Amino acid sequence: MLIIMMIESMLTDLGCESVTTAATVVQATALIDGQAFDAAMLDVNLNGTNSRPVADALAARGVPFFFSTGNGNHHSMEGYGDRAILRKPFMYQDLAATLTGLLPR
Amino acid sequence: MAKIASKSDEQRDAEANVEGFEEKLGPFVVAAETTRMAMVFADARQLGNPIIFANDSFLSLTGYDRKEILAQNFNFLMAHVADAEALARIKAEFESGSDCGAEVLYRRKDGSEFWSDVFISPVRNKNGDVVQYFASFVDLTRHKEALTQSRMLIDELNHRVKNTLATVQSIVWQALRTNSNPIAIRSAIESRLLALSLSHDLLTRENWKSAGLLDVVHNALAPFGVAGGRADRITIKGENIRFPPQAALALGIAFNELATNAMKYGSLSNEKGSVLIEWKTAPTPEGDRLILHWRERDGPQVKLPSHRGFGSRVIERGLAHELQGTAHLDYRPDGLVCAINIPTPLGALDG
Repeated sequence: MLIIMMIESMLTDLGCESVTTAATVVQATALIDGQAFDAAMLDVNLNGTNSRPVADALAARGVPFFFSTGNGNHHSMEGYGDRAILRKPFMYQDLAATLTGLLPR
Repeated sequence: MAKIASKSDEQRDAEANVEGFEEKLGPFVVAAETTRMAMVFADARQLGNPIIFANDSFLSLTGYDRKEILAQNFNFLMAHVADAEALARIKAEFESGSDCGAEVLYRRKDGSEFWSDVFISPVRNKNGDVVQYFASFVDLTRHKEALTQSRMLIDELNHRVKNTLATVQSIVWQALRTNSNPIAIRSAIESRLLALSLSHDLLTRENWKSAGLLDVVHNALAPFGVAGGRADRITIKGENIRFPPQAALALGIAFNELATNAMKYGSLSNEKGSVLIEWKTAPTPEGDRLILHWRERDGPQVKLPSHRGFGSRVIERGLAHELQGTAHLDYRPDGLVCAINIPTPLGALDG
Protein backbone atom coordinates (compact mmCIF):
# COMPACT_ATOMS: atom_id res chain seq x y z
CA MET A 1 0.00 0.00 0.00
CA LEU A 2 2.71 2.46 0.99
CA ILE A 3 4.86 1.42 -1.95
CA ILE A 4 2.13 2.14 -4.46
CA MET A 5 1.45 5.50 -2.84
CA MET A 6 5.12 6.38 -3.22
CA ILE A 7 5.11 5.30 -6.85
CA GLU A 8 2.04 7.46 -7.46
CA SER A 9 3.82 10.42 -5.90
CA MET A 10 6.94 9.75 -7.95
CA LEU A 11 4.99 9.49 -11.18
CA THR A 12 3.10 12.69 -10.38
CA ASP A 13 6.41 14.42 -9.71
CA LEU A 14 7.65 13.12 -13.05
CA GLY A 15 4.77 14.92 -14.71
CA CYS A 16 2.39 12.03 -15.37
CA GLU A 17 -1.03 13.62 -15.72
CA SER A 18 -3.14 10.61 -14.88
CA VAL A 19 -2.02 7.70 -12.73
CA THR A 20 -4.33 4.73 -12.16
CA THR A 21 -3.50 1.80 -9.90
CA ALA A 22 -4.82 -1.71 -9.52
CA ALA A 23 -4.18 -4.07 -6.62
CA THR A 24 -5.25 -7.34 -8.23
CA VAL A 25 -5.06 -9.13 -11.58
CA VAL A 26 -8.86 -8.81 -11.96
CA GLN A 27 -8.82 -5.04 -11.32
CA ALA A 28 -5.86 -4.55 -13.62
CA THR A 29 -7.29 -6.46 -16.58
CA ALA A 30 -10.64 -4.67 -16.16
CA LEU A 31 -8.83 -1.30 -16.24
CA ILE A 32 -6.86 -2.28 -19.33
CA ASP A 33 -10.11 -3.27 -21.05
CA GLY A 34 -11.74 0.01 -20.07
CA GLN A 35 -9.23 2.70 -20.99
CA ALA A 36 -6.13 3.46 -23.03
CA PHE A 37 -2.78 3.74 -21.23
CA ASP A 38 0.44 5.32 -22.48
CA ALA A 39 2.59 3.06 -20.33
CA ALA A 40 2.33 0.65 -17.44
CA MET A 41 4.45 -0.54 -14.54
CA LEU A 42 3.58 -4.09 -13.54
CA ASP A 43 4.52 -5.87 -10.35
CA VAL A 44 5.32 -9.51 -11.05
CA ASN A 45 3.19 -10.46 -8.08
CA LEU A 46 -0.21 -8.85 -7.48
CA ASN A 47 -1.74 -9.66 -4.12
CA GLY A 48 -0.06 -13.06 -4.11
CA THR A 49 -0.91 -13.89 -7.73
CA ASN A 50 1.44 -14.00 -10.69
CA SER A 51 0.56 -11.08 -12.93
CA ARG A 52 1.11 -12.83 -16.27
CA PRO A 53 -2.53 -12.27 -17.40
CA VAL A 54 -1.98 -8.53 -16.97
CA ALA A 55 1.25 -8.68 -18.99
CA ASP A 56 -0.61 -10.57 -21.72
CA ALA A 57 -3.44 -8.01 -21.71
CA LEU A 58 -0.99 -5.11 -21.94
CA ALA A 59 1.01 -6.81 -24.71
CA ALA A 60 -2.18 -7.61 -26.66
CA ARG A 61 -3.10 -3.91 -26.67
CA GLY A 62 0.40 -2.74 -27.43
CA VAL A 63 0.74 -0.83 -24.15
CA PRO A 64 4.45 -0.46 -23.40
CA PHE A 65 5.25 -1.71 -19.91
CA PHE A 66 8.02 -2.72 -17.56
CA PHE A 67 8.14 -4.97 -14.53
CA SER A 68 8.83 -4.23 -10.92
CA THR A 69 9.67 -6.96 -8.46
CA GLY A 70 10.88 -7.53 -4.96
CA ASN A 71 12.64 -10.64 -6.14
CA GLY A 72 16.31 -9.95 -6.69
CA ASN A 73 17.35 -13.29 -8.12
CA HIS A 74 15.61 -14.95 -10.98
CA HIS A 75 14.00 -13.53 -13.99
CA SER A 76 10.45 -12.27 -13.99
CA MET A 77 8.30 -13.89 -16.61
CA GLU A 78 8.83 -16.24 -19.52
CA GLY A 79 8.18 -14.64 -22.88
CA TYR A 80 8.81 -11.15 -21.53
CA GLY A 81 12.55 -11.46 -21.06
CA ASP A 82 13.19 -8.30 -23.09
CA ARG A 83 11.14 -6.08 -20.78
CA ALA A 84 12.90 -3.80 -18.35
CA ILE A 85 12.77 -4.77 -14.68
CA LEU A 86 12.88 -2.33 -11.80
CA ARG A 87 13.86 -4.10 -8.61
CA LYS A 88 12.43 -2.84 -5.34
CA PRO A 89 13.58 -0.73 -3.67
CA PHE A 90 14.50 1.52 -6.60
CA MET A 91 15.80 5.03 -7.16
CA TYR A 92 13.54 7.80 -8.37
CA GLN A 93 16.01 8.40 -11.21
CA ASP A 94 15.78 4.75 -12.28
CA LEU A 95 12.00 4.91 -12.36
CA ALA A 96 12.25 8.06 -14.47
CA ALA A 97 14.77 6.50 -16.86
CA THR A 98 12.85 3.22 -17.22
CA LEU A 99 9.57 4.98 -17.86
CA THR A 100 11.14 7.42 -20.30
CA GLY A 101 12.65 4.47 -22.15
CA LEU A 102 9.15 3.16 -22.85
CA LEU A 103 7.68 6.36 -24.24
CA PRO A 104 8.07 7.73 -27.77
CA ARG A 105 10.51 10.61 -27.92
CA MET B 1 19.20 -66.60 0.46
CA ALA B 2 16.92 -66.84 -2.58
CA LYS B 3 18.06 -69.01 -5.43
CA ILE B 4 18.36 -67.76 -8.97
CA ALA B 5 17.79 -69.82 -12.08
CA SER B 6 21.06 -69.32 -13.89
CA LYS B 7 24.05 -68.67 -11.77
CA SER B 8 27.65 -68.53 -12.72
CA ASP B 9 30.17 -70.45 -10.69
CA GLU B 10 31.68 -67.21 -9.54
CA GLN B 11 28.40 -66.03 -8.26
CA ARG B 12 27.82 -69.26 -6.46
CA ASP B 13 31.21 -68.80 -4.88
CA ALA B 14 30.38 -65.27 -3.90
CA GLU B 15 27.13 -66.31 -2.30
CA ALA B 16 28.93 -69.09 -0.54
CA ASN B 17 31.23 -66.38 0.74
CA VAL B 18 28.28 -64.48 2.19
CA GLU B 19 26.91 -67.68 3.65
CA GLY B 20 30.38 -68.24 5.03
CA PHE B 21 30.14 -64.86 6.76
CA GLU B 22 26.83 -65.86 8.21
CA GLU B 23 28.37 -68.86 9.87
CA LYS B 24 31.42 -67.06 11.13
CA LEU B 25 29.90 -63.68 11.93
CA GLY B 26 26.35 -64.57 12.94
CA PRO B 27 25.38 -61.48 14.96
CA PHE B 28 26.96 -59.13 12.42
CA VAL B 29 25.05 -60.66 9.56
CA VAL B 30 21.82 -60.37 11.54
CA ALA B 31 22.70 -56.72 12.13
CA ALA B 32 23.32 -56.14 8.42
CA GLU B 33 20.07 -57.83 7.55
CA THR B 34 17.97 -55.91 10.00
CA THR B 35 19.58 -52.47 10.22
CA ARG B 36 17.47 -49.61 8.91
CA MET B 37 20.32 -48.58 6.65
CA ALA B 38 19.91 -50.06 3.16
CA MET B 39 22.91 -52.25 2.28
CA VAL B 40 24.10 -54.59 -0.44
CA PHE B 41 27.17 -56.69 -1.16
CA ALA B 42 28.39 -56.75 -4.74
CA ASP B 43 30.74 -59.19 -6.42
CA ALA B 44 34.03 -57.46 -7.15
CA ARG B 45 35.27 -60.11 -9.52
CA GLN B 46 32.57 -59.85 -12.13
CA LEU B 47 31.85 -57.17 -14.67
CA GLY B 48 29.13 -54.85 -13.48
CA ASN B 49 29.64 -55.87 -9.84
CA PRO B 50 26.45 -57.92 -9.55
CA ILE B 51 24.60 -57.78 -6.25
CA ILE B 52 24.97 -60.90 -4.13
CA PHE B 53 23.31 -59.77 -0.94
CA ALA B 54 20.64 -57.17 -0.18
CA ASN B 55 19.19 -56.46 3.24
CA ASP B 56 15.54 -55.83 4.09
CA SER B 57 15.97 -52.06 4.26
CA PHE B 58 17.34 -52.05 0.74
CA LEU B 59 14.29 -53.98 -0.42
CA SER B 60 11.87 -51.60 1.28
CA LEU B 61 13.80 -48.58 -0.03
CA THR B 62 13.64 -49.81 -3.62
CA GLY B 63 10.37 -51.76 -3.59
CA TYR B 64 11.91 -54.86 -5.18
CA ASP B 65 11.82 -58.47 -3.98
CA ARG B 66 15.12 -60.04 -3.11
CA LYS B 67 15.02 -62.38 -6.08
CA GLU B 68 14.63 -59.41 -8.43
CA ILE B 69 17.72 -57.75 -6.98
CA LEU B 70 20.19 -60.57 -6.74
CA ALA B 71 22.55 -61.05 -9.71
CA GLN B 72 21.59 -57.67 -11.12
CA ASN B 73 24.38 -55.29 -11.97
CA PHE B 74 25.17 -52.86 -9.19
CA ASN B 75 23.97 -49.88 -11.24
CA PHE B 76 20.70 -51.37 -12.46
CA LEU B 77 18.62 -49.09 -10.22
CA MET B 78 20.08 -45.88 -11.56
CA ALA B 79 17.33 -43.61 -12.86
CA HIS B 80 19.50 -42.47 -15.75
CA VAL B 81 21.87 -45.28 -16.66
CA ALA B 82 23.65 -43.10 -19.21
CA ASP B 83 24.29 -40.27 -16.77
CA ALA B 84 28.05 -40.04 -17.28
CA GLU B 85 28.62 -37.80 -14.29
CA ALA B 86 26.75 -40.12 -11.94
CA LEU B 87 28.62 -43.11 -13.37
CA ALA B 88 31.89 -41.32 -12.76
CA ARG B 89 30.87 -40.55 -9.17
CA ILE B 90 30.02 -44.22 -8.56
CA LYS B 91 33.23 -45.38 -10.23
CA ALA B 92 35.27 -43.05 -8.05
CA GLU B 93 33.41 -44.32 -5.00
CA PHE B 94 34.24 -47.92 -6.02
CA GLU B 95 37.87 -47.07 -6.58
CA SER B 96 38.66 -45.08 -3.52
CA GLY B 97 35.60 -44.61 -1.36
CA SER B 98 35.00 -41.25 0.25
CA ASP B 99 33.70 -39.75 3.42
CA CYS B 100 30.72 -38.19 1.77
CA GLY B 101 29.70 -40.94 -0.65
CA ALA B 102 28.38 -40.52 -4.16
CA GLU B 103 25.04 -38.82 -4.73
CA VAL B 104 22.97 -40.79 -7.23
CA LEU B 105 19.38 -40.66 -8.47
CA TYR B 106 17.78 -44.10 -8.29
CA ARG B 107 14.46 -45.47 -9.52
CA ARG B 108 12.23 -47.70 -7.44
CA LYS B 109 10.30 -50.62 -8.87
CA ASP B 110 7.17 -48.47 -9.01
CA GLY B 111 9.01 -45.92 -11.17
CA SER B 112 9.36 -43.24 -8.49
CA GLU B 113 12.80 -41.74 -8.10
CA PHE B 114 14.90 -40.91 -5.06
CA TRP B 115 18.28 -39.41 -4.42
CA SER B 116 20.64 -41.43 -2.32
CA ASP B 117 24.16 -41.19 -1.06
CA VAL B 118 26.07 -44.39 -1.80
CA PHE B 119 29.02 -45.37 0.36
CA ILE B 120 31.17 -48.20 -0.99
CA SER B 121 33.91 -50.10 0.82
CA PRO B 122 36.00 -52.94 -0.60
CA VAL B 123 36.00 -56.35 1.14
CA ARG B 124 39.39 -58.06 0.75
CA ASN B 125 40.41 -61.68 1.10
CA LYS B 126 43.47 -62.90 2.98
CA ASN B 127 45.71 -62.06 0.02
CA GLY B 128 44.48 -58.52 -0.03
CA ASP B 129 42.48 -58.92 -3.23
CA VAL B 130 39.18 -57.13 -3.43
CA VAL B 131 36.58 -59.86 -3.64
CA GLN B 132 33.42 -57.98 -2.80
CA TYR B 133 32.13 -54.50 -2.31
CA PHE B 134 29.97 -53.48 0.58
CA ALA B 135 27.61 -50.60 -0.28
CA SER B 136 25.28 -48.69 1.99
CA PHE B 137 22.62 -46.22 0.88
CA VAL B 138 21.37 -43.11 2.65
CA ASP B 139 18.03 -41.98 1.28
CA LEU B 140 18.27 -38.23 0.62
CA THR B 141 14.57 -37.65 -0.08
CA ARG B 142 13.90 -35.80 3.17
CA HIS B 143 17.16 -33.93 2.93
CA LYS B 144 16.31 -32.80 -0.62
CA GLU B 145 12.80 -31.79 0.44
CA ALA B 146 14.24 -29.79 3.32
CA LEU B 147 16.68 -28.09 0.94
CA THR B 148 13.89 -27.19 -1.48
CA GLN B 149 11.79 -25.91 1.39
CA SER B 150 14.63 -23.85 2.76
CA ARG B 151 15.38 -22.43 -0.72
CA MET B 152 11.74 -21.40 -1.02
CA LEU B 153 11.77 -19.81 2.42
CA ILE B 154 14.92 -17.87 1.61
CA ASP B 155 13.41 -16.63 -1.67
CA GLU B 156 10.23 -15.64 0.11
CA LEU B 157 12.19 -13.92 2.86
CA ASN B 158 14.21 -12.02 0.28
CA HIS B 159 11.03 -10.96 -1.49
CA ARG B 160 9.55 -9.77 1.77
CA VAL B 161 12.67 -7.91 2.82
CA LYS B 162 12.84 -6.12 -0.53
CA ASN B 163 9.21 -5.09 -0.26
CA THR B 164 9.76 -3.97 3.30
CA LEU B 165 12.75 -1.88 2.21
CA ALA B 166 10.60 -0.29 -0.48
CA THR B 167 7.94 0.37 2.16
CA VAL B 168 10.55 2.05 4.34
CA GLN B 169 11.64 4.05 1.31
CA SER B 170 8.02 5.13 0.89
CA ILE B 171 7.77 6.16 4.56
CA VAL B 172 10.91 8.28 4.25
CA TRP B 173 9.82 9.73 0.92
CA GLN B 174 6.40 10.74 2.25
CA ALA B 175 7.85 12.19 5.46
CA LEU B 176 10.22 14.37 3.45
CA ARG B 177 7.47 15.50 1.10
CA THR B 178 5.04 16.55 3.82
CA ASN B 179 7.35 18.05 6.46
CA SER B 180 10.15 20.57 6.43
CA ASN B 181 11.00 20.50 10.11
CA PRO B 182 13.67 17.84 10.82
CA ILE B 183 12.06 16.89 14.13
CA ALA B 184 8.68 16.38 12.45
CA ILE B 185 10.37 14.34 9.72
CA ARG B 186 12.14 12.16 12.26
CA SER B 187 9.01 11.62 14.30
CA ALA B 188 6.90 10.79 11.21
CA ILE B 189 9.46 8.21 10.10
CA GLU B 190 9.89 6.68 13.56
CA SER B 191 6.18 6.41 14.27
CA ARG B 192 5.48 4.66 10.96
CA LEU B 193 8.47 2.34 11.22
CA LEU B 194 7.30 1.36 14.69
CA ALA B 195 3.79 0.68 13.36
CA LEU B 196 5.24 -1.44 10.56
CA SER B 197 7.40 -3.31 13.02
CA LEU B 198 4.46 -4.03 15.32
CA SER B 199 2.45 -5.36 12.38
CA HIS B 200 5.38 -7.62 11.47
CA ASP B 201 5.47 -8.94 15.03
CA LEU B 202 1.78 -9.74 14.92
CA LEU B 203 2.03 -11.49 11.55
CA THR B 204 5.10 -13.41 12.66
CA ARG B 205 3.15 -14.71 15.66
CA GLU B 206 0.53 -15.90 13.16
CA ASN B 207 3.18 -17.49 10.86
CA TRP B 208 2.39 -14.88 8.20
CA LYS B 209 -0.83 -16.66 7.31
CA SER B 210 -3.32 -14.03 8.41
CA ALA B 211 -4.14 -11.76 11.33
CA GLY B 212 -7.39 -11.06 13.15
CA LEU B 213 -8.79 -7.53 12.94
CA LEU B 214 -9.21 -7.31 16.71
CA ASP B 215 -5.53 -8.19 17.13
CA VAL B 216 -4.52 -5.76 14.37
CA VAL B 217 -6.37 -2.88 16.05
CA HIS B 218 -5.11 -3.69 19.55
CA ASN B 219 -1.61 -4.08 18.21
CA ALA B 220 -1.64 -0.78 16.30
CA LEU B 221 -3.09 1.15 19.23
CA ALA B 222 -0.84 -0.37 21.89
CA PRO B 223 1.74 2.46 21.71
CA PHE B 224 -1.05 5.02 22.19
CA GLY B 225 -3.37 3.29 24.62
CA VAL B 226 -1.53 0.96 26.93
CA ALA B 227 1.91 2.56 26.67
CA GLY B 228 0.46 6.08 26.40
CA GLY B 229 -1.76 5.71 29.50
CA ARG B 230 -4.95 6.10 27.48
CA ALA B 231 -6.13 2.49 27.46
CA ASP B 232 -9.42 3.34 29.23
CA ARG B 233 -10.22 5.98 26.63
CA ILE B 234 -10.05 3.59 23.70
CA THR B 235 -12.89 1.11 23.18
CA ILE B 236 -12.60 -1.64 20.59
CA LYS B 237 -15.61 -3.79 19.67
CA GLY B 238 -15.79 -6.36 16.94
CA GLU B 239 -15.06 -9.89 15.91
CA ASN B 240 -11.56 -11.09 15.21
CA ILE B 241 -12.16 -11.27 11.47
CA ARG B 242 -9.07 -12.58 9.73
CA PHE B 243 -7.26 -10.70 6.98
CA PRO B 244 -4.41 -11.86 4.75
CA PRO B 245 -0.96 -10.44 5.55
CA GLN B 246 -0.91 -7.55 3.05
CA ALA B 247 -4.35 -6.36 4.15
CA ALA B 248 -3.40 -6.72 7.83
CA LEU B 249 -0.27 -4.61 7.24
CA ALA B 250 -2.33 -1.93 5.49
CA LEU B 251 -4.89 -1.87 8.31
CA GLY B 252 -2.12 -1.63 10.91
CA ILE B 253 -0.63 1.37 9.14
CA ALA B 254 -4.06 3.00 8.76
CA PHE B 255 -4.89 2.64 12.46
CA ASN B 256 -1.50 4.06 13.34
CA GLU B 257 -2.30 7.13 11.22
CA LEU B 258 -5.71 7.55 12.84
CA ALA B 259 -4.28 7.22 16.34
CA THR B 260 -1.40 9.60 15.56
CA ASN B 261 -3.89 12.17 14.32
CA ALA B 262 -6.10 11.68 17.40
CA MET B 263 -3.07 12.21 19.66
CA LYS B 264 -1.99 15.37 17.87
CA TYR B 265 -5.29 17.04 17.09
CA GLY B 266 -8.20 14.79 18.02
CA SER B 267 -9.88 13.26 21.01
CA LEU B 268 -6.68 11.79 22.47
CA SER B 269 -5.02 15.23 22.51
CA ASN B 270 -6.90 16.45 25.59
CA GLU B 271 -7.64 14.91 29.00
CA LYS B 272 -11.16 13.59 28.48
CA GLY B 273 -11.69 12.59 24.87
CA SER B 274 -12.20 9.02 23.76
CA VAL B 275 -12.25 6.81 20.68
CA LEU B 276 -14.75 4.09 19.87
CA ILE B 277 -13.72 1.60 17.21
CA GLU B 278 -16.53 -0.71 16.22
CA TRP B 279 -17.23 -3.02 13.31
CA LYS B 280 -19.72 -5.54 12.08
CA THR B 281 -20.33 -7.54 8.96
CA ALA B 282 -23.35 -7.07 6.77
CA PRO B 283 -24.51 -9.38 3.98
CA THR B 284 -25.06 -7.84 0.55
CA PRO B 285 -25.88 -9.42 -2.82
CA GLU B 286 -22.19 -9.02 -3.75
CA GLY B 287 -21.01 -10.81 -0.61
CA ASP B 288 -20.42 -9.87 3.00
CA ARG B 289 -19.14 -6.38 3.74
CA LEU B 290 -17.22 -5.29 6.77
CA ILE B 291 -18.31 -1.90 8.05
CA LEU B 292 -16.00 -0.25 10.52
CA HIS B 293 -16.30 3.10 12.27
CA TRP B 294 -13.64 5.01 14.14
CA ARG B 295 -15.49 7.61 16.20
CA GLU B 296 -13.81 10.29 18.28
CA ARG B 297 -15.69 12.24 20.94
CA ASP B 298 -15.09 14.83 23.65
CA GLY B 299 -11.98 16.05 21.92
CA PRO B 300 -11.26 19.65 20.96
CA GLN B 301 -13.59 21.04 18.32
CA VAL B 302 -12.58 19.60 14.95
CA LYS B 303 -11.52 21.93 12.16
CA LEU B 304 -11.42 20.80 8.56
CA PRO B 305 -7.71 20.49 7.75
CA SER B 306 -6.40 23.03 5.27
CA HIS B 307 -4.76 20.30 3.20
CA ARG B 308 -4.91 16.55 3.08
CA GLY B 309 -1.88 15.09 4.78
CA PHE B 310 -0.22 11.76 4.26
CA GLY B 311 -2.37 10.12 6.95
CA SER B 312 -5.64 10.96 5.23
CA ARG B 313 -4.26 9.85 1.87
CA VAL B 314 -3.14 6.56 3.40
CA ILE B 315 -6.69 5.93 4.61
CA GLU B 316 -8.82 7.35 1.82
CA ARG B 317 -6.64 6.24 -1.10
CA GLY B 318 -4.17 3.65 0.11
CA LEU B 319 -6.36 1.57 2.38
CA ALA B 320 -9.40 1.82 0.10
CA HIS B 321 -7.25 0.68 -2.80
CA GLU B 322 -5.52 -2.13 -0.92
CA LEU B 323 -8.75 -3.53 0.52
CA GLN B 324 -10.83 -2.83 -2.57
CA GLY B 325 -13.44 -0.85 -0.69
CA THR B 326 -14.06 2.67 0.54
CA ALA B 327 -12.68 4.66 3.43
CA HIS B 328 -13.86 8.17 4.31
CA LEU B 329 -12.77 10.68 6.86
CA ASP B 330 -15.57 12.87 8.13
CA TYR B 331 -14.27 15.89 10.06
CA ARG B 332 -17.36 16.46 12.19
CA PRO B 333 -17.05 19.36 14.63
CA ASP B 334 -17.74 17.08 17.63
CA GLY B 335 -15.26 14.43 16.56
CA LEU B 336 -13.60 12.82 13.58
CA VAL B 337 -15.37 9.80 12.11
CA CYS B 338 -13.61 7.38 9.81
CA ALA B 339 -15.94 4.98 7.98
CA ILE B 340 -14.43 1.96 6.28
CA ASN B 341 -16.52 -0.32 4.07
CA ILE B 342 -14.66 -3.29 2.59
CA PRO B 343 -15.41 -6.81 1.43
CA THR B 344 -15.14 -9.33 4.26
CA PRO B 345 -12.23 -11.61 3.41
CA LEU B 346 -13.19 -15.16 2.47
CA GLY B 347 -12.90 -17.62 5.31
CA ALA B 348 -12.53 -14.66 7.60
CA LEU B 349 -14.03 -15.84 10.87
CA ASP B 350 -11.59 -16.72 13.56
CA GLY B 351 -11.89 -20.37 14.20
